[in-house]
Amino acid sequence: MNSLSLLKNPILQRELISRLRSPKALIAIALVAIVSCTLVLMRWPREATIDLVSQGSIQVFRPVAYAIAIAIMMLTPAFPATAIVSERRKGTLVLMLNSPTPPWVIYIGKLLANVLLSVLLFSVSLPAIFACYAMGGISIPGNIVPLVLIFIGMAFQYSALGLWVSSRSQSIDASLRWTYGILLGMVVLSIGPTVLVGKLSGLKAWIAQAMTTLSPIPALQQVTGAQGQSQSIGISTGWIEFLIMCAVSTLGFALATLYKLQPTMMDRSRDAGKVIEATQSSWLRRLSYLVDPNRRKSGIPFWLNPVMVKEFRTRKFGRLHWLLRLIAGGAIVSILLTVVAATGTVNWGVDRIASSMVIMQIGFLLLLGPSLGANLIASEVESGGWQLMRASPISPWRILSGKLLSTFLTLLLLLLATLPGYVMMSYIQPAIGGQVSNVIISLLIATAMVTILSACVSAYSKTSAAATAASYAVLLVIFAGTLLIWLGRGNPFGPVFVERALLLNPAATALAEMKAPGFETFQLIPNGWYVGLSICAAGLVILVLRIARLTRPD
Amino acid sequence: MSDTVVETTNLTKSYGDFTALSDLSIHVNRGQILGFIGPNGAGKTTTIKILVGLSKPTSGCATIAGVDCSQNASRIKRLVGYMPDKFGSYDNMRVHEYLDFFGAIFGIPASQRKARIQEVMETTSTTYMQDRYVESLSHGMQQRVGIARTLLHDPEVLILDEPANGLDPKARIEMRQLLLQLAARGKTLIVTSHILPELARICNVVAIVTAGKLRAFGTVDEVMSSLCPQRSYEIQLASASHIAQAEKVLGQLLLDSEPLTSSPAELTLRFPTVRTEPELAELLNQLVAAKLPVTQFRELTSDLEDAFLSVAGKD
Repeated sequence: MNSLSLLKNPILQRELISRLRSPKALIAIALVAIVSCTLVLMRWPREATIDLVSQGSIQVFRPVAYAIAIAIMMLTPAFPATAIVSERRKGTLVLMLNSPTPPWVIYIGKLLANVLLSVLLFSVSLPAIFACYAMGGISIPGNIVPLVLIFIGMAFQYSALGLWVSSRSQSIDASLRWTYGILLGMVVLSIGPTVLVGKLSGLKAWIAQAMTTLSPIPALQQVTGAQGQSQSIGISTGWIEFLIMCAVSTLGFALATLYKLQPTMMDRSRDAGKVIEATQSSWLRRLSYLVDPNRRKSGIPFWLNPVMVKEFRTRKFGRLHWLLRLIAGGAIVSILLTVVAATGTVNWGVDRIASSMVIMQIGFLLLLGPSLGANLIASEVESGGWQLMRASPISPWRILSGKLLSTFLTLLLLLLATLPGYVMMSYIQPAIGGQVSNVIISLLIATAMVTILSACVSAYSKTSAAATAASYAVLLVIFAGTLLIWLGRGNPFGPVFVERALLLNPAATALAEMKAPGFETFQLIPNGWYVGLSICAAGLVILVLRIARLTRPD
Repeated sequence: MSDTVVETTNLTKSYGDFTALSDLSIHVNRGQILGFIGPNGAGKTTTIKILVGLSKPTSGCATIAGVDCSQNASRIKRLVGYMPDKFGSYDNMRVHEYLDFFGAIFGIPASQRKARIQEVMETTSTTYMQDRYVESLSHGMQQRVGIARTLLHDPEVLILDEPANGLDPKARIEMRQLLLQLAARGKTLIVTSHILPELARICNVVAIVTAGKLRAFGTVDEVMSSLCPQRSYEIQLASASHIAQAEKVLGQLLLDSEPLTSSPAELTLRFPTVRTEPELAELLNQLVAAKLPVTQFRELTSDLEDAFLSVAGKD
């Protein structure tokens, strides 16, 4: 099949053209172009000279490269993660699989549509990248070509990942949650063993180094002239290893997806459900589930909001047995971290341990919050349940409060999981009691912000898939985008601008309070709280108005 | 005291320049079943939405049990049980939990809810599926659960949008019996359907709307006589070889307003007419006198479908 006939793939044409018609694609492309050009403009030399050895251009090149990489990470997996599961639910996948088009053509069409969209997304930033070249100190073969190859590798890898998860998922929100979860693991956790354990030898060292090739961070650091940072923490891989891993993992994901992408994937009976009576539940089942999801549930009591109860009962993830497992896991990890630090097993201060716990909590919030919050209203509208609620006497305020509480309480329970760690920390070092209280307040604000903003996005979305993807994007812009600005502190961003940007991010407020490395100079409390609460209040007002609009007679 | 439960007076709904509903005036008495008929986009769902308080009319008025549907939407929601054409399923929810949730949002106290759920499940014969997930139910089962949901708060009026849509013949018969049973208990029902013979069997009154306008309203017989004043007759012959001769004879006897159609495969000829019984007897005599082998001479029964087509054809 030559390249021309590849582009004639009907799936590719339909998917690519339909997405390019979407105003959201236009907004995403425009945002990438605006951000990258703004970063260049901020550092453009005022003198009419070219500085061939200056670090100025590399200091612009670096944040531009990171900004585009984050945009690819946020936006690329969203569509493939919904591509197969949504077609299966709509019934169009069975039509395609029953056509003479072989599954691999369907797969290639879906993969390339997404990769081409990502390429289009980062290609709008190329003028900004070449402007860095014009400023001097950057070479095309040494910096720009490897960077573009990294972006293409990421686009292939994340698209293939999304499609693989989508082929295995039963619901759109589960597919998005798993895709972003695995992505987070690939980008951040893969470098964990090398960073945390330190010097390893033999096979263990080889495995730890191989794992780092899953993350684009060492590759990006190498091509943006910051390889010293990776090497200082023991990472010796670069962009070539990353590209090899991209090719291998893309092929692996593709084969795994093609194995699933057969007409037989629809050949499964609907789970009719089996009720486990309290007397029938075995001790093994009780131990495994903690709260049996198949137990017979009693009626909704008068003192509970029925909408909140419904939300808890209808989720696959976020139901009580899953939450309790996660809380137990989180509690163990947080206590272990604290004990390890207190007993001097690792040479980490309390500040670093607390920072790790804050990052773990924010990771939980960002992974689970958008998929829980974004489904609150959009999926109700999509399933037809909203119409039924409108036809009932329940008030709009009760609907909204029930829905918000169902997400807020879930996320709050996750935060509670790390409380034992904080308690132990305060016991070991009583002087930090005040700081711990401030961190907890900041995390509560972060929880409220994640809940309200996701619900806002959900209220304005027509489908739960679009709502989930948009929620992830909005929250990552706030929580990761401001950290990107923090990464560029000194150059190109001044301290005042960085501090103002960090005020938007409650996680940064918590990190600054614990004097995490790099945050020692920032004093974000109480202004960070005021900004966070203002965002929550504004979001709540928008949400109330939107719910009033959605529930009132047409 | 009037027994009218549902009443609309000059009900009009416009969206900008587009008029979805124009001057609709109908009324339904207690215990009656109204069949609401019309092609897609005729204004049926618009009317229903106004009646259940989900939409406000541009002008005119709709009342249920004397309560204004647009002014007092919260009271209307307790008086009406509404089943939209989309079921409104939730994942991981069993039938019993599903009904419990809707009972709770309709404000049924927890102490009474359990008994009420059992009652509506018995009425709709859904008790055996109470532990099954709603999304795993067949379409027919979901329709039954949908009706159980509308009955939970014991409303006076049930408004069912396409309840028989997509059901197999057995499920359709069961649905028909269920609706008749509910009407017998004094519930007033408004039912939309595209399956017109189905409606003709259960409805006391029908309303036909096309392009937002009411074209006919009354009992099935009243609508039939107003929309189909002509009767159709069919003549069946013993063999196809006599069809041409019969056409020739009838061509001389019938008027221009009585167009003749023949179907040689069925050995039949048909024509509409307003002739009286003696005039028809004379026509038959003349056919027999022309030595045509007539095996049957009978009136074709017009049905709601003919009435609907006679209206829809004018648009």
